[in-house]
Amino acid sequence: MIATHPSIKTNRKFKDQQYYKTDTDTYFLLPFRFHRLNEKREIIVNDCGDFLVVDRGMVEKIISKQIQPGDEIYPDLLANFFISEQPVPPLLNIMATKYRTKKSFLDHFTSLHIFVMSLRCEHTCHYCQVSRVSDNRTAYDMKRDHIDKGIGMMMRSPNPHVTMEFQGGEALLAFDNIKYAVEKAKEEAIKHDKQISFVICSNLALINEEILSYCKENDILLSTSIDGPAFIHNKNRHRLGNNSYELAVAGIRAAKQALGEDKVSALLTTSTLSLDYPQEIVDEYYKLGFRNIFLRPISPYGFAARNKERNFYSAGEFLEFYKKALHHVIAYNRIGEFYREDYTTIILKKILTPFPVGYVDLQSPAGMINNVIVFNYDGDIYASDEARMLAEMKDHTFRLGSLDTHSYEEIFYGEKARTFSDAWLNESLPGCADCAFQPFCGADPVFNYATQGDIYGHRPTSDFCHRNMEIIRYLFELMDNDKEVERIFRTWIKPNC
Amino acid sequence: MKFSIKGPKIEVIVDAAIYNEDVVFKCFYWYSRDFIVDITKNKNEFMIILEPKTAGCDELLLKERVAKDLIDFRLRDTVSKETKTIRELIIAKAFAYYEDETIPEREISDPVGFNPQNISR
Repeated sequence: MIATHPSIKTNRKFKDQQYYKTDTDTYFLLPFRFHRLNEKREIIVNDCGDFLVVDRGMVEKIISKQIQPGDEIYPDLLANFFISEQPVPPLLNIMATKYRTKKSFLDHFTSLHIFVMSLRCEHTCHYCQVSRVSDNRTAYDMKRDHIDKGIGMMMRSPNPHVTMEFQGGEALLAFDNIKYAVEKAKEEAIKHDKQISFVICSNLALINEEILSYCKENDILLSTSIDGPAFIHNKNRHRLGNNSYELAVAGIRAAKQALGEDKVSALLTTSTLSLDYPQEIVDEYYKLGFRNIFLRPISPYGFAARNKERNFYSAGEFLEFYKKALHHVIAYNRIGEFYREDYTTIILKKILTPFPVGYVDLQSPAGMINNVIVFNYDGDIYASDEARMLAEMKDHTFRLGSLDTHSYEEIFYGEKARTFSDAWLNESLPGCADCAFQPFCGADPVFNYATQGDIYGHRPTSDFCHRNMEIIRYLFELMDNDKEVERIFRTWIKPNC
Repeated sequence: MKFSIKGPKIEVIVDAAIYNEDVVFKCFYWYSRDFIVDITKNKNEFMIILEPKTAGCDELLLKERVAKDLIDFRLRDTVSKETKTIRELIIAKAFAYYEDETIPEREISDPVGFNPQNISR
């Protein structure tokens, strides 16, 4: 919309600059937040995630209305919705559409449905949050009745495309039940006109031709774990024979061959031991043929919390590890190899594109319930994967109900969900509400509760806040200091990468 | 801002006419990692007592940081209050249901004489 001028006839001729000038020489501020990136630079960010990196002192000038229309920055401030020449910005609808787009992950509600097929596992990883070494299938495997009810609830999701993820323990120990679940879900999906993606999370120690053949027939993705070279992986992931690494690597190779490179992914869990070997871990992933790595800190839940010597490190220590590893990944790209870090990519997509990212651990509203739900092996329903890990510590705060006794409405819109919703928006959390990085970050009530004792959390002492604020600040600083890094980062966020 | 060291504690006096309650609380919230923070309001000023949780606090650096942070949070407060209505409008519009098409309010004219509104249907 263009401002009308009473003395000029409205027609479609090009107008001179005077036509667009407003009656007042000042401007009006639009909502934005700011952060000091370093001693020289600061950043302003609006609610839609538009940003400008400027010299120190510029923010004060903008806010105190010292910027003049002839200043170089003026058109950038106007174009990026930081200031307006009218009290109500003429492009308010555009701003609203951008905001809605950023929150469009809410449009279809829950997509990821985690089925914990068995708590049994033949590994005894020291950082494992949940698993049991047991032969007792009755006690620790999901019953078929619960599989049916879980699928029934999944079909109630308004989301036309749902993901059914099989987890454990070691999910492949209950492979018969996985097959049953896949067949049942496919039947129900036809009835309910839904698309389903299937994922099996496995350490791949038990993978064989029969399983791979079934995965290929049913387009099932495999997600596994690699913690780095053998000396780290086998130290973290114990099993009889001390050969977890060898089995995982053989499994990855067989799975890639049978299913295709893009059907197998691996996750890193950073233990205390890993902190000393960022380059070796990055090299290991590259050596195994992966062109991506997810630098993931340990979750302070379940059994992992009991082994503090091996699993406890500060956010500062993790950040040091992350930065060294990230630089090593960037170094591959500098010599022409495509190789990306996944957590960085998630944040970069939030920064450099107008779209949201479907990553449940970094969203506002939080991913719990809105994007993910967990059906545990015993039929209990939890708000997120981390919530069921807490349950293994006998803390059932985030138990939403049971497949046996609760309806869809009671689970997804019930009293517990409403209670958690008070703390799942970073827009309204103390500390987050004024943070410039809010559009790129998220809220995690389960992490707050597990580490700080309440679902709201305390930002000054929060590892989640410390870690994410520093990573986001660091990424902006890297892109600001080195345009080659920005160019590399932009290759990471291209579609289909 | 007055800054003084009282034994193991640091006392900060802030003029309430310059820094309002929101600014003071939001600013010193971030100090609650390293200090036990106590805020009281007297007539025209806030008194903030910072008690370090661990030894080894550099008072000069702290004074500089407090002064900077107070200014930053005052700036944030200015933006937040000035733009409150617009922010609410953006969010309300973002989640409202739209009409598919809006009709232009003004008549359209054209210098070459083509008037789209004269087209017979």
